[in-house]
Amino acid sequence: MAKTQTARARAAKRPAPSLSAPLLPIHALIEAEQQAFIEAQDDVKRAGYFCAYTPPELLNAAGLRHARLFKAGSPEIVAQGERFTQSVFCDFSKSCIGGFDQNAGDPFYRAVDKVYNFHTCASMKRASEVIEQFVPTTLLNLPRNRGDAASRAFFREEIVHFRDDVAALAGRAITEDDLREQIRLFNKARRLLKKFSELRKRPFSPLSGKDFLELVRGYYYLPPQTLLSAYEKLYRKLSRVPDDGERPVRLMVSGSIMADGDRRLVELIEDEIGARVVVEDHCTGLKPFTHTVRETGDPFQALADGYLDQAPCARMKPLDDSVNLTGELAQEYDVEGVVYVYLKFCACYGVTKLEFISHLQQLGIPVLEISSDYSSSDHGQLKTRVEAFIEVLTERRGERVGDTVAAD
Amino acid sequence: MKINDIVERAPWPFAPPGPVVGFDIGSRGSKGVLLTPDELHTTFVPTGLYMQETADDLLARLLKQTGLRRRDIGFIVGTGYGRISLKYKDIPYQVVTEITCHAMGAHALNPRTRTIIDIGGQDSKAIKVDPATGKVVEFVMNDKCAAGTGRFLEKAAVLLGLELDELGGVALEATEPAPISSQCVVFAESEMVSLRARGERSGDQATRANIAAGIHFASARRVKTLLGRVGIEPDLVFTGGVANNVGMWHALEELIGATFTRSPIDMIYAGALGAAVHAGKFHAAALQAGTAKPKAVAAVGSGRGKPASRPRAGAPRRAAFVQVG
Repeated sequence: MAKTQTARARAAKRPAPSLSAPLLPIHALIEAEQQAFIEAQDDVKRAGYFCAYTPPELLNAAGLRHARLFKAGSPEIVAQGERFTQSVFCDFSKSCIGGFDQNAGDPFYRAVDKVYNFHTCASMKRASEVIEQFVPTTLLNLPRNRGDAASRAFFREEIVHFRDDVAALAGRAITEDDLREQIRLFNKARRLLKKFSELRKRPFSPLSGKDFLELVRGYYYLPPQTLLSAYEKLYRKLSRVPDDGERPVRLMVSGSIMADGDRRLVELIEDEIGARVVVEDHCTGLKPFTHTVRETGDPFQALADGYLDQAPCARMKPLDDSVNLTGELAQEYDVEGVVYVYLKFCACYGVTKLEFISHLQQLGIPVLEISSDYSSSDHGQLKTRVEAFIEVLTERRGERVGDTVAAD
Repeated sequence: MKINDIVERAPWPFAPPGPVVGFDIGSRGSKGVLLTPDELHTTFVPTGLYMQETADDLLARLLKQTGLRRRDIGFIVGTGYGRISLKYKDIPYQVVTEITCHAMGAHALNPRTRTIIDIGGQDSKAIKVDPATGKVVEFVMNDKCAAGTGRFLEKAAVLLGLELDELGGVALEATEPAPISSQCVVFAESEMVSLRARGERSGDQATRANIAAGIHFASARRVKTLLGRVGIEPDLVFTGGVANNVGMWHALEELIGATFTRSPIDMIYAGALGAAVHAGKFHAAALQAGTAKPKAVAAVGSGRGKPASRPRAGAPRRAAFVQVG
């Protein structure tokens, strides 16, 4: 009881999130879960991971408390991280390191007993090597050529290593049956998240872009059982919201990770300008929920295949798979424009951007390109860019309507 | 001034039905344009601490210039970085971004405008315009760093002991522009300091000119990168406060290898003019919808704020809005 009150008092100090009202109970659940992760006096080990290629099925099967570590660092935390890196690391990798700083870090990160990191980009690999100084860390490999049979066999082996490591941490064995059950559970959660996202295909979505990001946040912090009961209730509620109102400009956000707490672009788009983010292709948006994992046969191979088959990160090969998926999502959700945003110095999305942008252009979809970080000094310029983009899209909308009239 | 004296097209298709005002509240300077059906008036004040006071000051000056009363104004459009903070109880008001306004301002004066370089106090933009409509097709804006903007030139002028409006002229006297390599204001400043130190030892005015020219070329290189992303199609028009700087004008033309089309008015007012043109359209639409009463002077006006021609239907237009990373 006392603990809950402390948690509540702390939550009250934070600024209220600008979410739709039905999302607030989910937000409260996440906050409480995070507090428990930090404060609960139990012997349950805490495992953290960075990347959406990490199968939480294994962590959950071991009965661990687990969470994805993807918070956007405050400028102070970024600065802590930068003590260990060159300035040309992205703010996300700096935040991951800075979060573990023993004095100035994030209590949530410091509560972690073990970090698992699948090797995605060079910055994050180096980051996890630094983090090893603060907390035991296991680096696992993730093949790039997602289609190769050799990649799949190799990745299966990595997942078996991962299982062994996790089982040792938890001090208990993980059976194949445990795993199959977890796969079914997480598939349910993934399907549900996808269903939520499909509500955004309506002309007037009951779910804002920020709301959806909050649901994704929940996926990475909440135990799946908690998630399923809360989310199913919310889905029933939202699916009954009448589909009417003025149609906001429909946008897609494409590009690199949009960390937990990195909301300034979406808030600018939705709260200040009044447009809507109806889909996103990044790994903290819809991307991880476009696939499910096979529920039969060898669960290790199923996880290896499932995660390699998921909507690919731009670090995977062939890049065309990622680029085409972005185009398909943009069309499927009938977006009027795409905001392509990547973290400054991102060696992955910052370099492949032209592939994405030119593909979207060929589909006739306007793109606004923004490179971003976790400071806020450029709010005015960011606002001018996004507003001008929306002005252009609104004009186009007028023309589209005009063209139809002319055709009649 | 009379609109017919400055534009080629008569009747001017952007003439408002009655007096309207456009404000461009920039980071350094604020610009106001008042359009009547046949006249154009401009005014400039440095941006103050309070945007509303600055805008009120602009409006008072415009009314004084024209002898109009506040209630004669049919519509105000605000643009520039201070656009958000403006409020009017008695005059309909709208906000439009400066990117859209600069495109419209340049287009209204010269319908052949296809590419705009806009350099203001704290940012620079390259804008591609649809010559049929004056609408933005594509734009690029500088990153949050100030290299290549008016603020940078202001800083450079101070270091050289010059007034800002002298800087460009001095640069033209250069015999050998100083090699200022850095694109970062902070580093360029320290490069300047060491260059100046050398010049001061020899007491050489020519050194100052060379440094000034070097500064303009360093800025122009930055702006050229922006242009590289939207492409350069004539007519190429230079807008914003820095358009008055002959040194920058020269450096850009030389680097780009193209010439800017001269404009009939000081292009520091391009954004405010575009805002006023939009105000005219909003006012015309309100009159048509019956939500606004025609103002006294409206009877004089003949042209309605209509776009020159309809946008063409057809294949989806390709458009990209690329920003400097």
